[in-house]
Amino acid sequence: MANKNDKSRRKFLQKLGVAGASAVAGSALLLQGCSDSNKSSGNKVKVLTADNKLVEVDVAHLKPGDKIQDLSYLQERGREGIPGKKFVMVVDLAKCKNARKCMKACQSAHQLKPEMHHLNVLEMEDPVRDTSYWMPKTCQHCDNPPCVSVCPVDATFKRQDGIVLIDNERCIGCRFCVAACPYSARTFNWTEPKNSEEFAEVTYDMELNVPQKKGTVTKCAFSADRVREGKLPYCVSACPNGVYYFGDQNEDLVTNGTTKKTVRLSALLDNNAAYTLMPELGTKPSVYYLPPRESKG
Amino acid sequence: MKNIKQYRLIILFCLCFLAVANVNAQSDWPVPAKENENMSPFLFDDDMVLEGRISYENSCTSCHGTPGQDDFTPMAPPPGDPASDQFQLQTDGALFHKIKMGRGSMPKFEDAFADDELWNIVAYIRSFNKDYKQPLPNMEGVEIPEYSMKLSFDDNIDKLVVKVFAKNQPQPEVSIAAYVMGTFGKYLLGKSQTNELGIAYIDVDPTMPGDEEGKLSVMVKASKGFGRAKMNEEMVMVEPTIRKSAIEGRHIWSTDKMAPVWLKVSFFITVFGVWFVLLFIVIGLRNINKANKEEA
Repeated sequence: MANKNDKSRRKFLQKLGVAGASAVAGSALLLQGCSDSNKSSGNKVKVLTADNKLVEVDVAHLKPGDKIQDLSYLQERGREGIPGKKFVMVVDLAKCKNARKCMKACQSAHQLKPEMHHLNVLEMEDPVRDTSYWMPKTCQHCDNPPCVSVCPVDATFKRQDGIVLIDNERCIGCRFCVAACPYSARTFNWTEPKNSEEFAEVTYDMELNVPQKKGTVTKCAFSADRVREGKLPYCVSACPNGVYYFGDQNEDLVTNGTTKKTVRLSALLDNNAAYTLMPELGTKPSVYYLPPRESKG
Repeated sequence: MKNIKQYRLIILFCLCFLAVANVNAQSDWPVPAKENENMSPFLFDDDMVLEGRISYENSCTSCHGTPGQDDFTPMAPPPGDPASDQFQLQTDGALFHKIKMGRGSMPKFEDAFADDELWNIVAYIRSFNKDYKQPLPNMEGVEIPEYSMKLSFDDNIDKLVVKVFAKNQPQPEVSIAAYVMGTFGKYLLGKSQTNELGIAYIDVDPTMPGDEEGKLSVMVKASKGFGRAKMNEEMVMVEPTIRKSAIEGRHIWSTDKMAPVWLKVSFFITVFGVWFVLLFIVIGLRNINKANKEEA
């Protein structure tokens, strides 16, 4: 009996000790948090919240260069998309000179090895006339995407702004989507991705699809992370030859990545006999091509 | 033999001369003293640099390349890189004059660009020089008019009406440029000048899609001499457009969230029904088996 009492007392004391220590630590943390939030520099900046509201925040409360760490927030935001937009790309084949700056920018942004492409510049050869032209090919962000139909786990999906994304947290690596895509736009991480140690601690953002994960599929995301900030995609702004136009179909305006000139989408497509790739499949791509014309020289 | 030597000497001399002439192509370009001291009436800002960049990329890149990259086209004389000292050591006025007037293979941009657009290009070129401090003109005795604008839309003629005032007086001959602000850039609606009543009209294409209320985000710039004004406004100018979500409706690729209740219910009833039947058979077989054993 005495033994039992002894045991329970010891346990009680142990518990008390743990509770006391955690209380001290907790209050210290709380106090630290409070003192942080009380500090203010007086400089206010305007920032956009998740629900598109402009609020003024003190500079002291912002951590410069810090990426959003909250995975569930990033996942939700990535699925949701940007309301009221429908993103389109126009590729002017007449201007492409195979500078491959777009591919470089894309691969460095999306943590891709040199042999992996979200965007590839292909040489289109005409054996009869012995001539060729360059064709940058990305994911077509179809309005009727076959890849999304076949995904068994809802890892790849289409958003309300027209962008087709992959959630590599859900992807099981079955590669049904790779087989279903008529444009061969998707690639697979067969090996550990480039610089995987550096990205080990980074929170996954499906809009950028970084960090890449071995055993999952990856593809062009129309730089959904840049577009969210109102910036043109990585490839579009890297092009030195004015090949890419990018914009919102709902506004009927597209902006050239090189010249930054904004033009009417409908006029650009109509005046230049624009076409889409494999229209007979009924995939309704969001990427339009302007045919390569004879040069005037 | 002597003739050949002389001939060689002449060629050598010519080559040397050409080389020197090439190097000096820029410094030999005389700019009138008055033009050389000319200064921008506008303070170079990011907006000017961006505008200048657009003009530069459209009209200058083909020969001068991208500033700072030394990728200009090899020509004689070489066009040079605008980020280099060769350009940056010149005054703003000299750059302005050379772009405006041109010489030889450098085209004359007097007709292509208005003065403020030429200053945009100078601003863009200067943005590659970190040490650059814009010289400011002596503003003594010069009064900078403060323009204010009133925007309205006349739906009978589909024109944007811009009224420009300074101290409540309408201002004639003010250059007006109107833009529609897109997601990634601004679309030029048109350019015009105010009349004697201080009013300028700019065409608006009624087929342009607006938002749900038919609003367009418009930016109007007014400039004349030193005076400059800018104004942003959301205006109802075009037909309202309903913006559809790209995933609206049911498709073969829709997520299960889009599936109607009857489909979900009948699916689960079928699945559970099949399981129930299977289970019923298995239990039945087990009972038969048990009964057999008990009999035996």
